[in-house]
Amino acid sequence: MKLSVPMPLRLVLLVLGTTAFYMYLGQIVPQREAHPPPPVLISAEMTTEDLVAVGAELASGKGQCLVGCHTVGQSGPLRYPDLDGIGARAATQIEGLSGLEYLAQSLYEPAAFIVPGFADGMQPIDQPPISLSEDEMKAVIAWLQSLGGTPTVTLDTELGY
Amino acid sequence: MNRNRIIFGIGVLAFVSVIATVRLGGFLVDNEYRQPDRQVAAQEEQGEAELTPRQQGIADEQAADEAEARARPYEEAEYRTVSFVGSRVTVWVLAQLHLLFAAFVLAVPLFAFIIEFVGYVKKEERYNKLAYEFTKLLSVSFSMTATFGAFLTFGLIILYPKFTNYLMHIFSPTFLPYVLLFFLEALFLYSYYYGWGKFGPKMHLFLGFMLNIVGTAIMFIANAWLTFMMSPGRRDDVDGDGVPDFVSAVSESGALLSLRDAFFNFTWMPINIHRIIANVAFGGSIAAAYAAFRYLQAKTDEEKAHFDWMGYVGNFVAIIAFLPLPFAGYYLAAEIYAFSQTLGIQMMGGTFSWLFVIQAALIGNLFLGANYYLWLGMGRMEGGVHFQKFIKWLLIAIALCFAVWATPRYAISSVSEIAAMGGSSHPQLSYLGQMSAKNTAVNILILSTYMSFLLYRRTGRQSVHPHRQLLTRAQAIVFSSAAALVTFYGVYGYFVDSATRIRFAIPQVYSVLAALVVITVIDLPLYRNARQSGETKWGKVPAISQYALIFIALSFTWLMGLMGYVRSGLRQEWHVYGVVLDTSPDAYTPSLGFATQVVSVTVLIFFGLIGVVFWLSSLGGKKDWEPKAVADGDGRLEGGQAA
Repeated sequence: MKLSVPMPLRLVLLVLGTTAFYMYLGQIVPQREAHPPPPVLISAEMTTEDLVAVGAELASGKGQCLVGCHTVGQSGPLRYPDLDGIGARAATQIEGLSGLEYLAQSLYEPAAFIVPGFADGMQPIDQPPISLSEDEMKAVIAWLQSLGGTPTVTLDTELGY
Repeated sequence: MNRNRIIFGIGVLAFVSVIATVRLGGFLVDNEYRQPDRQVAAQEEQGEAELTPRQQGIADEQAADEAEARARPYEEAEYRTVSFVGSRVTVWVLAQLHLLFAAFVLAVPLFAFIIEFVGYVKKEERYNKLAYEFTKLLSVSFSMTATFGAFLTFGLIILYPKFTNYLMHIFSPTFLPYVLLFFLEALFLYSYYYGWGKFGPKMHLFLGFMLNIVGTAIMFIANAWLTFMMSPGRRDDVDGDGVPDFVSAVSESGALLSLRDAFFNFTWMPINIHRIIANVAFGGSIAAAYAAFRYLQAKTDEEKAHFDWMGYVGNFVAIIAFLPLPFAGYYLAAEIYAFSQTLGIQMMGGTFSWLFVIQAALIGNLFLGANYYLWLGMGRMEGGVHFQKFIKWLLIAIALCFAVWATPRYAISSVSEIAAMGGSSHPQLSYLGQMSAKNTAVNILILSTYMSFLLYRRTGRQSVHPHRQLLTRAQAIVFSSAAALVTFYGVYGYFVDSATRIRFAIPQVYSVLAALVVITVIDLPLYRNARQSGETKWGKVPAISQYALIFIALSFTWLMGLMGYVRSGLRQEWHVYGVVLDTSPDAYTPSLGFATQVVSVTVLIFFGLIGVVFWLSSLGGKKDWEPKAVADGDGRLEGGQAA
C-alpha cells in the first residue's frame, strides 16, 4: 500500500525539519557567551610588579590587545606585530624616542608609526570603545615592558599624554 | 458524521465548559465561610460589617500595596523586564519579524513594477497578470509590517526607555518625515493595488514607481537609526593626509554634534545597498514560495501552468539578486573593518567566527536548492536532455565549493584529537578554512549557478545569430578566464602576507562581476529571436521542485535572521558603539546555540504568519459563497429551481 502524506502535512514537516536542521547546526559549533570584561581595580599602592599583572589582565580583557589582534610568541602570517620582546625592542624602534615614550605613543597614537610590513588599523585605546584610563594605560605599558625587558613604570610615571 | 457538525459540537462544548468554569468559580466564592447571618445583620446595623477572611486578606494586600506605592519616590526607569522570555529576546523577535515583513513589502513592489513595465513594453497581458498576482500579497503583509513596527516601538519604549530616549534625542527630526513617508507609502500601495485596471498603464506605472521611491526612502531613514548604533559617525579626510578619518557625530558624553553625520554615518550606505539586494532576493523567494503553495493546491492544468510560471519568475528574481549579494556583503564587511578593526576582528575572527560556518551551510543550501530547481525546470522543456549532461559537472563544482566554504579553520575536537592533529586545526584541511579558499569557493559557486541559469535559458532554443559559434566561444573564454583568475588568486593568497591576501578578494570579485556582465551582454543578442526547438510545458514539473522553492524561502528567511544577529551582536555590550553602554542584565553576547534557537522560533512564527498571508491572498481566487440549495418535499430547490 502506498503511503500518501497530505500536502499541508508535508509543508509543515518541511518547515519544521529545515528549521530544526539549521538550529541543530547552531548547537554543534563551539558555544561561548561574550561578557563585558570585568572591572580591574588599580590602587595607589600598587607596585610595578602589580601593574604588570594588571596589564596582562587588561591585554586579554578590556584592552582587547590579545583578542584577535596581537600575539605573544607566534610566527607566520600575523594580523599585527607579535609582542614578544617588545620590552627590549621598544627603545630602538624610533630614533629619539625612549622605550617608554615609544610604547606610550603606540597606545595613544597608534597611527603615528606603523611597523613595516603591517597595515594601519589600531585605534587609540584611551578612547571609546576601549577607553582605558591613564592608570590602566600605565599597567599595560608595564606589561609590555615586561615582555623581554625590565618594567619601570609606576603610577607616578608621566606618560606625556 | 459531518465534519462541520463535529467542529460545531467542539465549539459548543468549549463554550459550555467556559460558562461552567465561571459559574463554578462564582459558586465557590459565594459559599466561602461567613459569620452567622444574625451576627452579620447586627454588625451591619451598627455599620461594622465584618469581612470574610478572604475579603480581609485582599483588602490588606491592597492597603499594603498602596502604602508602598505612596512611599516610593518616582524614578526614571532605565530598563524594564519581561518575565520568562526576557526583554532582549522580546525586542529581538519583534524587530526580526518587523524586518522580515518590511523586507517583503519593500521588495515585492520593486519586481512587480519591473514585471508590469516589461509587460507594458512587450504588450503582453500575462506579465501584467503576474505583477498583479505578486501585488496581491502586499495588502496583508503591509498591515503585518505596521503591526510589528508598532509592537517594536512600544517594546523599545517600555523595555529600553533610557536608550530609546537617547535615540529620540539624536533622531527626533527624522521621525515626522518618516511618518509622512509611511502615510504616502500606504497611499501609493493601496492606489497601486486597488487601481489595477482602473488607471491607464502609464499612470499605474507611475504609482508603482512612486511606491518604490517612497518605500526605499523609508528604509533609508530606518537604516540610519540602526547603523548609527554600530558606527556613530562618518568618514572624512579631515587632516588632508589622504587617509579617511572618523568624524564622530556625538561628543564623548553622547551629545549630538551633527545630525547629518549621525544620519549619513559610516555603515549607512553599505547597509542600504546590502538591504536592497537582500530584500529583493528574499522577496523573490517568498513570492516563489507562495506560487509553489498555490501550485501544490492547484486543481487544473491552467492553474498549475500559471503558478509554475510565477514560481519560476519569483525564483529567477531571487537568484539574480542573490548572485551579487556576497559582493555587497563583502563591501559591508570591508566598511565595518575600515570603521573599526576591533569590530571587524570580532566579526570574522572572534566571537562570531563560527557563525560564518553556519552561514556557509545556509548559502551552500541556497545555491544547491536554486540549481536543483533550475535543473528540474529543464524537464518542462523539450530539448532539455541536450544540456543535462553538464549538470553532473555543475553539481560536482557546487558540492566541492560548498564543502570548502563550510570547512572551518579550527575543528571541533576532543583532547585526544587535538593531540593527534598537533593543535586545534587540522594539518591539511585547515588550509581550506582560510579566507583565500573561501573567497575562491564562493566566486566559483556564483559562476556555476550563473552557468546553470544560462543552460536553462538555452534549453529548447537555438540561436540563429550569424556569429553564434564565435560568440559562444567568446562566452566560454570569458567564463574560463574568470574561473582561472579566481583560482589563481585563491592559490597565490597562501604565499603572501595577510594584508596582501585580503586585497586579493577585490580582483576575484571584479573578475566574476565582469564575467557575468560580459556573458550576459553577449547572450542577449545571441538568443534574440532564437528558434524554438521545443515547447515550454508550464505546469509540467515534478512537485518536488515546488518544495525546493519553499526550502529556498525558508533558508533565505533563516539566513536573514542569523545575519541580523551578527550585525546587532557585533556591538557587544554597547547600545551605541563606544557611546552608550548597555548596563542591563542582558549586556553580553549570547552564545550561537541560543541565538539559533531564537532565530528558529522567529522563522517559525514568520512562516505561520506568512501562511496566513498566503491563505488570505488566495481567497480572492475562490468562488463567492452561496447558500446551499435544499430540496423540498416536491423535489424543488429553495428559490424555485427544479431539482
